[in-house]
Formats: sequence, structure tokens, C-alpha cells
Amino acid sequence: MIFHLDSSTSQPVGVVILKGRIDASNSSELQKAFALWLQQTSNFIFDCKELDFIDSSGLGAIVSCLRKALEHRGDVKLAALGAKVSMIFELTKAKKLFSIFSDRSEALQSFSTVGQI
Amino acid sequence: MKTLIVIREQEYDWLFDMFPGVHPLLVPICNKPYIEFLIDFSIFTGSDAIRIVSNGLLGDVERYCSTGSRWGVDISYGSMQPADSLHTVIEKNRRFCQEGRVMIINGFLFIHYDKKSDYAALFASLPSGELLSCNHGSIEVTGTPATEITVNGTRPLSLTALDSVSTYYHLSTDILNNGLTYYVIPGYSSEPDCYIGRNVIIPKSAEIKKPVIIGNNVQIMANAVIDSNSVIGSNIIIDRNSIISGSIVMDNTYIGEHLEVKNKIAAGNLLVDPESGTSFVMEDPHLLTSMEQTKSAGTLFRRLVHSVTALLLIILLCLPYILMRPILGIQGKWKRKKEQYYTGQQGKTFMLTMTTIDCSAPIGALAKAISLDRFALLFRVLIGKLALIGHQPVPVNPAIKIIPSSKAGYRPAVFSYAEAEDWPEIGIDTEIVEHYYAVHGTPLKDIAMAQKALFNRTH
Repeated sequence: MIFHLDSSTSQPVGVVILKGRIDASNSSELQKAFALWLQQTSNFIFDCKELDFIDSSGLGAIVSCLRKALEHRGDVKLAALGAKVSMIFELTKAKKLFSIFSDRSEALQSFSTVGQI
Repeated sequence: MKTLIVIREQEYDWLFDMFPGVHPLLVPICNKPYIEFLIDFSIFTGSDAIRIVSNGLLGDVERYCSTGSRWGVDISYGSMQPADSLHTVIEKNRRFCQEGRVMIINGFLFIHYDKKSDYAALFASLPSGELLSCNHGSIEVTGTPATEITVNGTRPLSLTALDSVSTYYHLSTDILNNGLTYYVIPGYSSEPDCYIGRNVIIPKSAEIKKPVIIGNNVQIMANAVIDSNSVIGSNIIIDRNSIISGSIVMDNTYIGEHLEVKNKIAAGNLLVDPESGTSFVMEDPHLLTSMEQTKSAGTLFRRLVHSVTALLLIILLCLPYILMRPILGIQGKWKRKKEQYYTGQQGKTFMLTMTTIDCSAPIGALAKAISLDRFALLFRVLIGKLALIGHQPVPVNPAIKIIPSSKAGYRPAVFSYAEAEDWPEIGIDTEIVEHYYAVHGTPLKDIAMAQKALFNRTH
């Protein structure tokens, strides 16, 4: 997991690059780290381009991140979901909970247009 | 008329990765193994002998189709080299092909036909040569035609080459939507576009939308939705609040709670997107998993209860057995027959010696009443080969279409639940009774049922 703050938009967005696997062995790390990142911003993009696998604990962790972000009046948007990871989101109906974009720039763009007329 | 089916392994080996554990020729299309469609079509064209030739292993296909007696045709098998041309294959099978007309199905093809059409007359009168072809194979006819017969109203034949998971998926949905009446589809159909197999449990809150095909031993839990264009195989649980829509669920699959399987193929713990060809192995057994019966603590406890009860029965019956067995043997009233039976593991068999006692004399009646004919089988319970009470052991018979398996609750036993309930020991009613108790039984209930079976045998 790599985190950086992107300030190119009107509001700072936390970009989290997820890599490899998120499963029972590392899902709690994501939750712990997210609690720290939440002190810097409440808007996030999870870039899943390099994410190869996710299981139900990983999915639970991401949904928990979304819930916490929403509690802070923010959002978690997903970008570049791979075919396999996308199937898990579809199967568990989690796809309906998230805004999903084909790549990170599109997701960033969506944050900058929030609130604009 | 004869049929020669020539299928090369390289044409179907993509299916090995997609559906491991099932021979590609046995992969179901609308719950019917692919090879059965070819056999049906061969029969409709008037064939009485079919030869299946491949360069791949055909062991599973041979075990399934056997000699073809189930369909009333003679099925034989042949091998070939991967590089053999069709001409070479025909040469190698010259004896099979030399007499009469032969239809040659060359390639891993699906033939679109209509079971109501008279293909026998058509194929008898067709001139020799290629009848149909597509990019992956052909159908041709050899031999001299009979005098020309005018055949009207047959559905034009067409071919689909099965070359990808996408073709496979679209073929299934196409049959489901437009072709169910053209083929013999397994299952009970009381209304069009809806085929349901045996032991299917559908609660009131579940929703089923046509067209749909559901196999045998399927449990659909509360509020689940089987949306239109779905094929549900056999030995399947669809758990609560899940939605299956436009999908194929292959045999022995568990679909967890609150899931949505839309336009996918689920096979055990494998989820396949037929459009992209992406497949994903699920690691979460509570989401998607294959239905393998594991030896849980409950199963072990049940086995222990059965063993202890069997041991008590052995101790009780030991003395009567020692006293009565020689007398009945001398009188010729103790008859034994060795036969092969199915174990609970898919396709595996074991040898059992079944005893029948002639009850015409009082001693025979007494021996039967105290179940001395089952005495030897009790030792099999001690080593875990048989249950004390469960299903009547099913003898190996090539005519049996669905081989009993523990996945479907089958547990061969010394006494059967049907005996306990005093049902006639044959037929569908027995199967239902045995399946019910296999699903709802507990170790204590088993003891009570074994006791009941003992008493009911005196009737």
C-alpha cells in the first residue's frame, strides 16, 4: 500500500495504491493505516491497478474504509479495477456501494467536479 | 446406419482448465452432458452403433456411456494419433465403417437439431459426401443411399463449433431461450421453459423465473432468486437472499448468502466471466465453494455411534449366528451372492456379499427376524465401509444414469431408512425417504431408525 496526498484538485485527495493481495493476513493493516490517513483528508481514491486478488476480509476492509470516510463527510472512490477484483465486487454487490472509475485521473477529476455547477 | 464421432483432444482441451475434474465430453450443456446430445442425434438419424474416437483419454466417457445399453445403441471407443487426418481415422476404423451408411461427426461441434424431425429417413436417402461444415469440423455421410425418399418438415441442421467459454455460454442460453423443445432435456417439466430435477427444495419466499433448468438435489434457501436464463446443475445449495441471473451454476457448487451471480458460470469455487474469459478462484468458502463432503466432527460422531451400535448388535447376534448359520447352510436355506456396489465416493465401488434366508421353515423365519442375514455386514460398519442405517447399497449397473454419491447424501448401509419406514424397497418413494433421513438424520435418530428397521423386517 502506498499513500500520498494529491492537491491538484480543489480539495486534497488521498490516493492509496493497493498492490498484490488484500486478504485476511493484511486487511487489518489497511484499516489501521486508513485511520491515520483519515486525519489528513476524508476523500480517497483506491487505485486498484496493481491489485491482483482480494478476498472477503479485504473487501470488508475496503467497505469499512468507505464507511469511515462517509462518517467524515468524505468518500472512497475506486479506480482501475482489474477483471478478477471486479468480479468479486460484482458478486458481493459491493460494486453498488462505490463510485468506480476506469483510471485514477478520471477518479481525481470526479472529486474536482464535486460541488461545481 | 452407424455414427463415427471423431473429436481431437486439442479441440476440447481448453475445457480442462475451465472445468477441472469433468471430462470435456461430459461437460453439461443445459444439464445434459455434451456427449449425450451427439448420442441422441445419432439415434434420431437411425444409428444403432456409435464409435467415439479421440486421441485424448476417454476413460471417464467410457465409464459414463459404457456400452450404450442405456440408450439402446452399441457404443464402442477408438483411439487415434493427434496428426491423423479424417481419412486415416476412417481407414483405421474400416471394419466399423465398411458396411451400410455411416454418419461421421468430425470435430468438437454442437449439432442443432429437432428431436421431432425424421432424420432417419433423411440420412438414409442423402447422397454420400459432406453434409454440413463449419470452421472447426463437419458432418458427412458415407455409403450408398437407399432409394430417394422425400422428407418434408425437418428442422435444418446447423453446427456450432465449441471453441471458447463464450460459445459454450451463449449456446446454453440460446438453447434455454429458443431450443428447449428441440432437445431431450433432463428434469420434470410441467410447463414450458421450466425443467426441474429430483429432490429440489424451493421455499415459498424464493423466486424462480422462466426459462430455467434446475438439476437434482438442489436446495434453494429463503428469499433466493433464480432469475430467467439460468441453468442450475445438480447437488447445489443457493443460500439465502442470493440472486442467480443469466448464469450457469455447475454441479456440486455452493453459492453463499447475499450474492449476485449475473451472467457468469460458477463451477465449485471457480467463477468465470464468459464474455472476457476471466476466471477467478474464490478462496472464501462462505462465498463460493465446491460441495465436497468433509469429515466434520458431526460425521465422525455419527460414525462412532454407528460403530458402537453395530458392535452391540454383533455381541447380541453372535451366539444365534453360531447356532443357526450351520443348520441353515446344511438345509440350503442360506444363500449368498457377491456383487459390486457403489460406495459414497463418486464412481468408486466395493464388493459386498449379500445373504438371503429362505423363511419357509421356522428356523429361517427366526433367523430373518433377528436379521442374521445382515450379521456379516455389521463388521463393515466397524471399519467404516458401511453405515448402520442409511441407503440401500446400490449395485453397480451401467444403466444407472446418476451414480450415487455422498455429495447427494448417499450412504450405503446395513439397514435402510426405507426398511425402517416400511416403504417398498424399490422405486422413487424409497429414494425420497432415504434422502430425507440422510439430510435430516442425527446419530440418535439413526439408532431409533435402526431399531425400527430391525422390527419392521419381521413383517
